[in-house]
Amino acid sequence: MAKTSVTIDYSKCGNYTGGIDPRGCGVCLGVCPPSIFIRHEHLTAKPKDPLDPEFWQITAVWLDLCTRCGKCVEACPLKAIRVSW
Amino acid sequence: MCQWCMKHGAGGKWYLNARNYSNELADERNMEAYLTEQWMNFETVFIRKIMGFSSIGLGYKLKMPIIGRVLRWQAESMIHSESPGRKPVRADGHFGQVIPVEEAKIILSSLAAEPIIQNYCMCRMMQRNVKDVCCINFGVLSGVIEKLPRFIPSNTKVRLGREEAVAAVEEQNRKGRVATVWFQPVPYVCAICSCEVPQCGGLRLRTDFGLHAVYKAEYVADTNPDLCQGCKACVAQCQFGAIRYSPTLKRVLVDQARCFGCGLCRDACRFGALKLIPREEVPGLVGQY
Repeated sequence: MAKTSVTIDYSKCGNYTGGIDPRGCGVCLGVCPPSIFIRHEHLTAKPKDPLDPEFWQITAVWLDLCTRCGKCVEACPLKAIRVSW
Repeated sequence: MCQWCMKHGAGGKWYLNARNYSNELADERNMEAYLTEQWMNFETVFIRKIMGFSSIGLGYKLKMPIIGRVLRWQAESMIHSESPGRKPVRADGHFGQVIPVEEAKIILSSLAAEPIIQNYCMCRMMQRNVKDVCCINFGVLSGVIEKLPRFIPSNTKVRLGREEAVAAVEEQNRKGRVATVWFQPVPYVCAICSCEVPQCGGLRLRTDFGLHAVYKAEYVADTNPDLCQGCKACVAQCQFGAIRYSPTLKRVLVDQARCFGCGLCRDACRFGALKLIPREEVPGLVGQY
C-alpha cells in the first residue's frame, strides 16, 4: 500500500513562520482517532526563555497509523492540513 | 521477574528496590543535569534525527527489509541504554513497566523520595492538546519540573503529601488509566504515570511498534468461570484488547498473551470473578514481559 503523507502548511499554522500559535489551537490533535500528530517546540528556534520555549509547531509523526479518514482536514480552522497517498 | 529485576532489583522487583529511589544514587550519577536537559526538550524526542532517522513514519521505516531491523535494534538499545554517554534529548535509558494500583500505592507510601509533585501529563499535552494533571513525579525530578512552567498546573496544588499522592493514583485508576512506573534514566526511578492508549508516548511505541519502552506487569488477569456473570463491565476497561465477551460461553475470555496485567478489569468486576495472578505461574507466559 502507498505511504501516507500528511503535510501541514506552516505559513498558516506555526508561530515560528508567522502563522497562528499552535498552542492556542491544537484541534487536529484532539480529533485524530489514532493520535498521529505531535506538538513540539521548534528544533532550530533559539528561544528567549529556554525553560518555556515560544516557538511551537505541529508535525504528523505516526504516519503509518493514519487511516486517511480526513477528520483533521475538515477540523482545521485554517485549512492548513493536506493528506495524500 | 524480568531482566531489569535481575540487574537492579537486589533480589526483588526493580521498582521495589529502595536504592533505585535514593538521592545518593541521583547525586552519584548526576541525574539532575540529565533530567533538566531531558525535560526541557521532551516534546522534540520523536522529531529529532537520530543517526539520520527521526520517528516520523516510524512504522514504515521499521518495515524496510534490512534497515528496519537495524533501526529496531538501535531504538531498543537507546531505550535501554546504561552507558555514561547516553543523550538526555533522546530520552536514552527512559522506560517503564505497568504496575497494578496496589504496587503504585506501596511505592508512593513508602519508597518514593520527597518531594512528591503532580504535573500535567507531557504525552497528553503534546499528542492531544489536553492539560491533565495526572503524572506523579518525585525525588530529583520534582525540582527539575517545578522550574518548567508549561508542566505546572495552575488551578491545583503541585506538591503532594504521600496520602494525597496515593489518592491521586487511585482516582486515575478509577477513571480507567493504567499505572506505570518509570526508570528515568535507568537505574533511577522517579515517576509514576497514569497512562492511556493511544496518547501515551511509551505505550504507543510498545503497542504499535513492539518496542519495549513499557514492559508488561509482573501479573496477568485470570477469570473464574463460575463467578463471571457476563455483565461485560471489564471489557470496556481494557486498553489492550485483551478481554472479550464470548456469546457461546456467556462469560468473558482473557487473552493472556495480550494482557498487560494492569488490573483495571479486576477493579471493574462486581462479582470478584477476575483476579491478578503472577505471570510466572502461567507456564506459557514466563519471561513474556
